[in-house]
Amino acid sequence: MLDVPILSLLIFIPIVGSVLVYLLGRLRERLCELASLVITIVVFALSLYMYGLLFASKEGASFSFVEGPFNWLGGFGVDYYLGVDGLSASLILISSILSVLVVLGSWDLITEKKPIYYFLILLFEGSIIGVFCSLNLILFYVFWEIVLIPMFFFIGVWGGPRRKYAAMKFLIFTYVGSVVMLLGFILIYLFTTPNTFNIPELVGKIPFWVQLLASAATFAGFGVKLPVVPLHTWLPDAHVEAPAPISVFLAGLLLKMGGYGFIRVNLGILADVSRQYAWVFISFGILTMFYGALVAMVQRDLKRMIALTSINHMGFVLLGSFAGISASTTQGAVYGISGAIFQMFNHAAAIGILFMLSGYIHEQAGTRNIDELKGLRIGMPKTALVLILGSLAGMSVPIYSSFLSEWMVILGAISVNSWYAITVLIPLLTVAYFLWMIKRTVLSQLPERIHYHDLRNRAMIGLLLYLVPLFLLLILPSLILGVVDPLSLLLYQGAGGGK
Amino acid sequence: MSATILVLEYAVIYTVGSLLASMLSLSKKAGVKQSAAFYASLAVLAVSLAFTLLNIAIYLIEPKPSFTNLFHEDLLSYFFAITVQLVSLFVVLSSRNYMWGDRNLSVYFSLLLFSTLGMVLLAFAADLLMIIVAWELMSIPTYVLAGLRKDNPFSNEASIKYFLLGAFSSGILLYAISLTYGLTGTTNLPAVLQALQASATRLDPLTILALALFIAGFGFKMSVVPFHMWIPDAYEGAPTTISTFLSAGTKKAGFVVAIRVFVVALPFLSTNWTTAFAILALATMTLGNVAALTQRSLTRMLAYSSIAQAGYILIGFAVATEPAKTLALIGVLFHVFNHAVMQSSAFLAVAAVDRTIGRASLDSFASLWRRMPITSFALAVSLLALAGIPPLNGFWSKLVLFTAAIQGDMAWLALAGVLNSALSLGYYAWVIKRMYIDEPTGSMGQSRIKEPAVISAVLLAATAIIIILGIYPSLIYDLAKAAVLALG
Repeated sequence: MLDVPILSLLIFIPIVGSVLVYLLGRLRERLCELASLVITIVVFALSLYMYGLLFASKEGASFSFVEGPFNWLGGFGVDYYLGVDGLSASLILISSILSVLVVLGSWDLITEKKPIYYFLILLFEGSIIGVFCSLNLILFYVFWEIVLIPMFFFIGVWGGPRRKYAAMKFLIFTYVGSVVMLLGFILIYLFTTPNTFNIPELVGKIPFWVQLLASAATFAGFGVKLPVVPLHTWLPDAHVEAPAPISVFLAGLLLKMGGYGFIRVNLGILADVSRQYAWVFISFGILTMFYGALVAMVQRDLKRMIALTSINHMGFVLLGSFAGISASTTQGAVYGISGAIFQMFNHAAAIGILFMLSGYIHEQAGTRNIDELKGLRIGMPKTALVLILGSLAGMSVPIYSSFLSEWMVILGAISVNSWYAITVLIPLLTVAYFLWMIKRTVLSQLPERIHYHDLRNRAMIGLLLYLVPLFLLLILPSLILGVVDPLSLLLYQGAGGGK
Repeated sequence: MSATILVLEYAVIYTVGSLLASMLSLSKKAGVKQSAAFYASLAVLAVSLAFTLLNIAIYLIEPKPSFTNLFHEDLLSYFFAITVQLVSLFVVLSSRNYMWGDRNLSVYFSLLLFSTLGMVLLAFAADLLMIIVAWELMSIPTYVLAGLRKDNPFSNEASIKYFLLGAFSSGILLYAISLTYGLTGTTNLPAVLQALQASATRLDPLTILALALFIAGFGFKMSVVPFHMWIPDAYEGAPTTISTFLSAGTKKAGFVVAIRVFVVALPFLSTNWTTAFAILALATMTLGNVAALTQRSLTRMLAYSSIAQAGYILIGFAVATEPAKTLALIGVLFHVFNHAVMQSSAFLAVAAVDRTIGRASLDSFASLWRRMPITSFALAVSLLALAGIPPLNGFWSKLVLFTAAIQGDMAWLALAGVLNSALSLGYYAWVIKRMYIDEPTGSMGQSRIKEPAVISAVLLAATAIIIILGIYPSLIYDLAKAAVLALG
């Protein structure tokens, strides 16, 4: 389409920029904040341009902007090979949006060791975009692992009281999952003719028994990241300890790596097993949703509650994608898979505002304990307003696109098996615990001796920006679904559905 | 060039340099003595490395392996010659800071050179007798080097333990060689292969015994469990530069002879030694990693980590038969090179801390990045590389080794390998946490310390190699592949 290597630019502008930002920050700290904002905005503009081109070309199903394959490790199947389809493009778009917002939010909330912080932010952005557009399994793995290092330091250096424990737990959990996943990739490489790690060349070529083993292995990697209950225990700790902007990255982008992996690898190249054993994944998905919702209900820490909501929402992704691949009708399949991808996009924005807000609340009120936060509607009216607006996004009420995606996933699931209709309870539970939280914090009486500071206007604007895509996509869902639907159809047909 | 002449040239370069260095100890002025010895050894290593690179270039333009009765010249020899000389260069350079002011420095440098010559000879050796001679030339100077600080009881203990077990292993090796000679009537490796292939009694108990003795003999140097007991004590007691030399240098020499003997000379016994190596690999990496998790001293932790890394390399030996032979050997060579660089970097970073702060217990690493940013950075990068995090060099060689294991029908070994990698991150990341996340403890200051200049330069060079090979692994992979394919 174009001669400019737009995907490489998306990856390497932040990575190269990170060094620049660090050096600038050594000169003067304010400079590194401004420079990171400029770089993330450039990346956002570029990804919007890329997305616009893809949307206009209506080629969401096939890979566009392909670069490579260029030989990287001679004769070993490791190539530098990039490309985007509807799935990657929408996730790259949300990554670049969140990066801008996270940099903005960090201006207020991060006060120490700024140069290295913004260095890591940009390194994280570049490598996560790399994850989303790698078409070679090893390249994918390389970016996948680079993401760990900034996150380890984010939690460990800028985190809360139990940051060391949380950082180590995060690192060990995700690394164990990743290396087992790597074994799965090696299996795929060795037992497919011709031997290759390139995803487009693997479609439909992998023998069934290899698919089965590889699915088990990759489940460890993707399942820890998503996270799937019972592999989720690192997540609440990591979220509670991480600073608010990093929680946004963690929930908004890092968890998406899991969802992306399930759709790209399991649905894309391990399609036969995914279709045949979809019920296993679906069961895990429903378990994850219920676990997240029920445990969130009893939390006292606002941030922990949001973290568990995140688990609950990501269960929809697992449910939707595997319900879609095993659906009996094309319509159901498109609902399921597109719904799952759409859900990832919406969840990133909705959970982003909630986490960032929890950071501001913690900064201003000195606590995140739901029982101690009282009378916000009088004490901090602006915060209360944003909290209600954000909670509505978390509840997926029909003023945001998150409603659409959950609805699509549930429809897709019901089209597979009417028993899956049980999942309509999940939004109900979610609404219940969010309303209860609002009742306790916003609608209660303000104790007399407490004096809160309210949100600054700039922070409020920064928070409300998260809601813009959610509004916009409710009115025009085709902005995302237009590139995603053809892909869902292709994945479904690739798995032998719709015949 | 004939292999004998080539080896002779190495011998002359090193012997002259080494004798020069030790003769300088006759000088009256202490300052002259150590500086002169240092620069003499530096010059020898520089000349020899340049000579090796030149020869590789000539060899690559016109590849013709040359064999004599005692030596053969092929890419495998050059590959190891480069690796071990690079490690020696790192060690000699770092001694400028670490050992400076110690007694007997000219002897120190002289012995280092002799030991390096032993390793280079081992890389070229094609005859069992030559192997044992080179083996001793490599080992005996290191016994002295480990005990160089004769006032330090730990150094003495290290030296004695190392010497006793080392002498024992040489004896075992000699016994294995004499058995082989008794069975085949020759000590020349290609001839051994022919004789054993021709004989009908290839699987008689004596052959198996010889095989087992070879594994045990080499195993001492390669730090294979259960022959690893001397490693942690020796590495901790010896001067840290010497620990670097032992773990990154002489250990690698064990692997080159193992390739020569097992893969080249005894391939038809593979059903026996592959299983043995698989079990040893599993035991070595698991024990190394589990023991490393519990250490309180960073030197000991790195010693156990070095044992674990030997376990990964042994995976390559376990599957070094068709169909995975090529890939497995590439993995072995690749990881040997990578490990030499990573381990040198890690150990020398510890040496820098040891020199400036004085204690290498894990407590002195708390919040190290404030005080020694270069050292902390280099140590963090080398530890991540040792753990196998991409895009650093250690990841690629592990990837090749694990792929070879699955290809060679030992998927369980690959699984054990990746789980061990995950386990190892537990202690590697713990050190990183200590350096970058933990608050400084006790009386440790927070102000920046002047880092030893030469060690810092070496560390930066090693870090650069780690990162460059991580981004562009083909540099060494292709060389390793060519070396393996030339073996046939």
